[in-house]
Amino acid sequence: MKLYGRLRPIVSLLLMLTSTALLAQQANVSGSIIDENGAPIPGVTILEKGTSNGTNSDNDGKYTLNVSGSSATLVISFIGYKSQEIAVNNQTAINVSLVPDITALQEVVVTGYSVDQRRDITGAVSTVKARALSISPSGNVEQQLQGRVPGVTVITNGQPGTTSQIRVRGFGAFGGNEPLYIVDGLPVTDTNFLNPDDIESTTVLKDASTASIYGARAANGVIVYTTKKGTRGSKKLSITVDSMFGVTNPGTGQKMMNPQDFADWTWNATKNTAMQLGVPSDSIKFTHPQFGTGTTPLVPDYLLVGTSSGVTGSVDLAAEKAKYNVTDFSRPIYQVVKANKSGTDWYKAITHNAPLFRNTIGIRGGGENSRFYFGLSSQEQDGILNTQHFSREAFRVNTEFNILKNLRIGENLQFTYRATHSLQGGNGGQGISGEESIVLTAFRMPSIIPIYDEFGGYAGTRAPGFNNPANPVASLDGGKDSRGFENRSTGNLYLEFEPIKGLTARTSYGGNFGSSYFWSYQRRTYENSENNSAVSYSEGAAQAYAWTFTNTLDYKKSFSNLHNFDLLVGQEALNTGKGRNMSGTGLNPFSEDRDFVTLNTTAPGATRTVGSNYFKGVNFSSYFGRLNYSFNDRYIASVVVRRDGSSRFGANNRYGVFPAFSAAWRISSEPFMNGLKSVVDDLKIRGGYGIMGNSNNVDPNNQYSLYQTNVGNSSYPIAGTGASEGYYRSRIGNPNARWEKAVTTNIGFDGTFLSGKMDIIVDFWNKDTRDLLFSVPQTSENGLFAAVPSVNVGKMMNRGVDIQVITRGKISGKIGYEFTVNGGFLKNQIVALSPGIIYLPGDPGFRGINPIRNQLGRPISSFFGYQVLGLFQNQADIDAAPTQSGVIKTADALPGQVPGGVGRFKFADLDGDGKITQADRTWLGSPVPKFTGGMNFKFTFVGFELESYMFLSLGGKIWNQSKWFTDFYPSFAGAAISERVKQSWTPTNTGATIPIFENVSNFSTQSANGNSFYVENGSYFRMQNITLSYNLPSDIARKISMERLRVFISTNNVFTISKYQGMDPSVGGNADLNFGIDVGNYPITRSYTCGLSFGF
Amino acid sequence: MRITKKLLITLLATVVCTVSCKDNFLNVKPTGSITNAQLTSKAGLEGSLIAAYSMLTGRSVGADGFYGGSTNWFWGSVLGGEANKGTNSGDQAQVNEIQAYHPQTGNTSILAKYQATYEGIARVNALLRILPDAQATVTAADKTRIEAEAKFLRAHYYFELKKHFNNTPYIDESVDYSKGIELVKNDTDLWPKIEADFQFAYDNLPETQGAPGRANKWAAGAYLAKALLFQNKFAAAKTLFSAVMAGGKTANGKAYGLVPKYGNLWRIANNNNEESVFAIQSAAGTGTINNANPDFVLNFPYNGGPAGCCGFFQPSFELGNSFRTDATGLPLLDGSYNTGANQLVTDEGVAAKALFTPDAGNLDPRIDHSIGRRYLPYLDHGPHPGVAWIRDQNYGGPYAPKKYIWTKAEEASGGVDKSSWTPGYDGQNVYIIRYADVLLMAAEAEIEAGSLATAQTYINTVRTRAAADIVMGKLIGFQPLAAPAVGPDYTKPILDNSLPAANYVITNYTVAFGSQAEARIALRFERKLELSGEGQRFYDLVRWGVAAATLNAYLTYEKAQVTASPFADASYVSPKSDHLPIPQREIDILSTSVLAQNPGY
Repeated sequence: MKLYGRLRPIVSLLLMLTSTALLAQQANVSGSIIDENGAPIPGVTILEKGTSNGTNSDNDGKYTLNVSGSSATLVISFIGYKSQEIAVNNQTAINVSLVPDITALQEVVVTGYSVDQRRDITGAVSTVKARALSISPSGNVEQQLQGRVPGVTVITNGQPGTTSQIRVRGFGAFGGNEPLYIVDGLPVTDTNFLNPDDIESTTVLKDASTASIYGARAANGVIVYTTKKGTRGSKKLSITVDSMFGVTNPGTGQKMMNPQDFADWTWNATKNTAMQLGVPSDSIKFTHPQFGTGTTPLVPDYLLVGTSSGVTGSVDLAAEKAKYNVTDFSRPIYQVVKANKSGTDWYKAITHNAPLFRNTIGIRGGGENSRFYFGLSSQEQDGILNTQHFSREAFRVNTEFNILKNLRIGENLQFTYRATHSLQGGNGGQGISGEESIVLTAFRMPSIIPIYDEFGGYAGTRAPGFNNPANPVASLDGGKDSRGFENRSTGNLYLEFEPIKGLTARTSYGGNFGSSYFWSYQRRTYENSENNSAVSYSEGAAQAYAWTFTNTLDYKKSFSNLHNFDLLVGQEALNTGKGRNMSGTGLNPFSEDRDFVTLNTTAPGATRTVGSNYFKGVNFSSYFGRLNYSFNDRYIASVVVRRDGSSRFGANNRYGVFPAFSAAWRISSEPFMNGLKSVVDDLKIRGGYGIMGNSNNVDPNNQYSLYQTNVGNSSYPIAGTGASEGYYRSRIGNPNARWEKAVTTNIGFDGTFLSGKMDIIVDFWNKDTRDLLFSVPQTSENGLFAAVPSVNVGKMMNRGVDIQVITRGKISGKIGYEFTVNGGFLKNQIVALSPGIIYLPGDPGFRGINPIRNQLGRPISSFFGYQVLGLFQNQADIDAAPTQSGVIKTADALPGQVPGGVGRFKFADLDGDGKITQADRTWLGSPVPKFTGGMNFKFTFVGFELESYMFLSLGGKIWNQSKWFTDFYPSFAGAAISERVKQSWTPTNTGATIPIFENVSNFSTQSANGNSFYVENGSYFRMQNITLSYNLPSDIARKISMERLRVFISTNNVFTISKYQGMDPSVGGNADLNFGIDVGNYPITRSYTCGLSFGF
Repeated sequence: MRITKKLLITLLATVVCTVSCKDNFLNVKPTGSITNAQLTSKAGLEGSLIAAYSMLTGRSVGADGFYGGSTNWFWGSVLGGEANKGTNSGDQAQVNEIQAYHPQTGNTSILAKYQATYEGIARVNALLRILPDAQATVTAADKTRIEAEAKFLRAHYYFELKKHFNNTPYIDESVDYSKGIELVKNDTDLWPKIEADFQFAYDNLPETQGAPGRANKWAAGAYLAKALLFQNKFAAAKTLFSAVMAGGKTANGKAYGLVPKYGNLWRIANNNNEESVFAIQSAAGTGTINNANPDFVLNFPYNGGPAGCCGFFQPSFELGNSFRTDATGLPLLDGSYNTGANQLVTDEGVAAKALFTPDAGNLDPRIDHSIGRRYLPYLDHGPHPGVAWIRDQNYGGPYAPKKYIWTKAEEASGGVDKSSWTPGYDGQNVYIIRYADVLLMAAEAEIEAGSLATAQTYINTVRTRAAADIVMGKLIGFQPLAAPAVGPDYTKPILDNSLPAANYVITNYTVAFGSQAEARIALRFERKLELSGEGQRFYDLVRWGVAAATLNAYLTYEKAQVTASPFADASYVSPKSDHLPIPQREIDILSTSVLAQNPGY
């Protein structure tokens, strides 16, 4: 109230100056608004129909509104309640009792540049309740859309603060498929700054009819967030406090062999190899630096004593301690490492129970001509990895003032501090599943190695015989003082003016200013077999500013209450962000004292490197218009046209025009439906067609041919020392690229049945993208370092059905229930690449295995490789099979060669030429789920509420690349072995799917060949959330001076049902041509939270 | 209403402004880049030339990173049977099928070699395309020199393609993206193009250059002669080699000659010596490991040896045996070095803590500059401990590489680049052609087209130098085990540095070669001994037409030496294995009607 108090003189002055504007025939209406139990509802919107003149109820549910005349109609709406229209008819006091919104179809929806009634919408739109977004302890709000919105695919991982793969209605292009996010009217590229408790409503616009008003950047759907606003004319402040506390449990890792089994199976690998080569078992030479040379392996007592390995017996630790050296790198490193015979659980060693706190204080209120919301929030959350931490501190201020009766000024602004410490994986954490992450390392470290040596240093693969995994505990510890954070200011300032009745002019200028800073330390390691040889220190900063300037005119007019028109025209100009960044790296500071180390104190010379870059962003200039027409609430039509220009394209093809048409027919209003009134409350058929443009997947420099200099790419020590600068072609330009086009058709039904007990929303949709921009694969003769330009040639098909069913009711008097099912079916297919091209080369490689091929006629990011028919059971099996490298037929054995190869993969000879060649590789599945959906159950009893939420993903496949490391001995001989290997093929275990465990790799088994062994069923069902909450009855709450009080306990990711053998079937990766591969995924694990929420 | 009007006017004005400035508004120029018109100054042209040179290192291209440069450690030496991939089976597993001579056409490392080489060509072509537009301030002499250096490099890169892939599309500055590049077939012999570019360089390059890394007239002459030799144009090659030997000097003005001590060829301080006809320049601490010999980074001993990683490029048993000499100090040209007691004693299968006695027979001293063996001094890193520094002896055998390994002294004086994940990057230049190679190629041309006596002189020149540098440090015993244990500690050898490390016996050929055939055998064996590990042998075997016989015998021998041999299913098939497959990616893009696959794939 203080703020309003200060502003009051100004507001009064303005009112006096403009009092002539007040019209004499105005009427004043006031009243109070109560809920079904008679309790007042604050924050209800009271709007004069056909205008934007309105107010909100105060904390006592009271309102006052000046309306244009006694014939005005009030529209009263509030989320969760049915909207009502009440004619003023000379009344001055109108009290309203709101009825809970038993149908989702009556709600108010924030779409495009306007707020619409759900019942008038002709396109495909979904909304998500604010509570759904705040219930889970995730870092970023968009993760909570998983399974909540039919047609939205969310693939994420368990790291707090990670980015996720969010896709609305499939994958339209070969990249840049992220949806557009709109926060309070301002387009932003991510929403990781938002605090879930600040959000009032979330809307997803899915088809051209609804989204194309956002034009060029809307082809991948639009997610519209609206944050909380204050209440005009409220008598007192409303303060809400939301607190959540919790802990995330890392669960258990994959089962790896214990030290004795590990030694035994190391021997088995040698035995099996000898068998294949025909070496008699009594002449096998066993040798291992730790397990000795005997016919049975000997687990040693010490893995390392100085330079000796495999030491059995006791060691004089006092004497050894004198020789200990892990700090002076000018002398040999000297360690004593005891074998951990009980086995180290490396996953356990790098993880911990991760605490979580989230607190928000929201203050809302308003005066007669103003309203405001302040939100102050803090989220502090550990990741399950030891040193991981996420924090977000946000301060939001949303205000609005009436300067004149018909002129408003307002702003929505948020300041955010955000830090993700030790976030793993590229692309803001999203890429982790496809990387050899520290999670994978935990499954590569043999359990026999302890975490620490005998004198407190790190232990590791310096002890020979275990190959090259690095001690993951040491790796995490080494980065514990590294930090990075960003500060961000996001928001807009707007002005709304109503010169005449029904006409609203709005201008809005929004900006997004971000700056970030990081510093990081890397230690010089000694404990590993492969050590980095220097201490390094890096530091850097970046800043960027993006802006959007939007101007709209909206005119609403109704003729004889039958014909309703709503015309919106607008203009928008924006820049996606210009800025700079710089960073430096140096090596070997004199001391590692954190108070000493700066870039300046690293060793001078060329090893101290700097880099900076500068970007100008992309400019867009757009004009758009939309006409909505409805006749008698029965026939509704909408036309949208938008013309966009973008600096991504050359002058020839800079502009694109994108139209959309849609219509709806409220069939339930037709007389012939009268007979069904008892069953069908409301039924609307919708249809829409439209074209949206997209330019996300094209480099801003696509039109230019460019040359660059880069020390790594083109310098050369021509003089024998130092490096001379070189210039190389870095990009070939295409001035003729033009907009990608996404053509969408949508047919939907919105129905309310059985006296409001059931809502059904169904959409059949089709999204064909054409003129897809991509870099057509070019011959390497052009040079590898020159990016080839994107040209418009590809086509992609996405098809699907979105279903939402909601039923609500009461079981017996006091027990209420609500059951929601959301589901989306998706079919994605690459329809055309450039002529003559059937796949995109350059697919990602994982240790020589290239699992993905983006190929004509298949879904994006599909898996590709040899089809495994089974394992060769005996020599006759080999002799009868097509010729295959890696096994030797009896007839083909050269002099000195032993025929063999039993227990190895038998591949399918698909082209039937009697040989297994590259031509036999085939499509092995797609990571794109065919169906994703969620189910929500809610029961209420008196003040108690039990809610559970489940997620289901069906039909996706996962390429479990981690098996290459854990299930095959020779991948990295000596690294940890999975417990699964005990089920591998042996002459007596012929039913196995894991091939014979050998110590050589070859084409058939484990060498650089992708095959269907790695492809697993990625379908899963996850019980994501169970929450029990209690709402104190409002009369009791009032006695303790509270408006409301809610307490809850909740558990997330309770269990997962899946056949997937890896850590977690939620496998994402670097979108979009490269996901679904699990190398070292970060699991989503169980968490427990409790919380408290109250208002006064 | 005044305020409203003002606001309206402001609003309108801003809208109008955005509209009126729109063309400008949608023109956003790129940053951090330049256009080729900006490169026509002298500095721009020189920089474009530097970029073309820089691809000699391969710049770590490709998914696998270590196969794109012109060092050819894998393609020339591993495929030539001088070494195996080494390390263990799973490491860089994609090259296993290549060293077993049955690569898949989609192999990523083969693609990397193809792509890196064409990048070098693309950079030359980009330069030659703008050279005619050079600004007036660029002198005619500079233009000619730049063109000649560029063409030298283009000839080098096409020579690389020719050796590995036989014929590939010939792209010069007249062809480019959207200018018909996708139509050029691989049905034309590359040799005339290579010869023409080398000839231009030979005719136009100065004898000495401002920087030692530049190609000069004599490098072009030697390389042209090599191209002639590869085409069996022996007479022309002989003439040109003679001219190079008579007048040749390095770019930094040193008359061609042999470095007095063989081992000093691989010392950083000795970069750009009198023997360095053309070399990839390397330097540590330039801000990128790509200037510090990136192709070789894996080729260091494992687990405690210098650099500590990664155990690749282990010399073969067969190569080790080849250094055996007879009582007179000559190599066993009849191939008997692989039989019986002629074979070298190795520590294969001998534990680090067990007794091992090194080979005591006659050896060419070059062995201990080429191969790291147990208990022999490993440069200045102390005696090689054997299995302790070997990643997987059952797979890769007992040896470690020794050429191109840095010394402790070099590490101390800043020759090692430590800015990356392992200190395997250094400032040691890599020879493309060195003068001993020129002598031996000239000897070959003499044998085929001239005088056996001259050839013998050339060969003996190389052998004389080899004899002049023997490794000192003989194993004389072991330190005792730490008390209370008794007996010798076989992990702690004692060396006497006043005694030769092994029984070195080497002499020149004193009896005149009896026939061309006899001379040929001696010459070819000398190339093997002198140039082992330097990325040459595979191409020699192929051009001599003996690859299948030699390498199949090699495979049979090697396979029997270790328990988990990488060669278990290897076999060499001629002519298929003589060349790598054209990468499948290229054929898929250009179609088989443009790009024909090599026979057998």
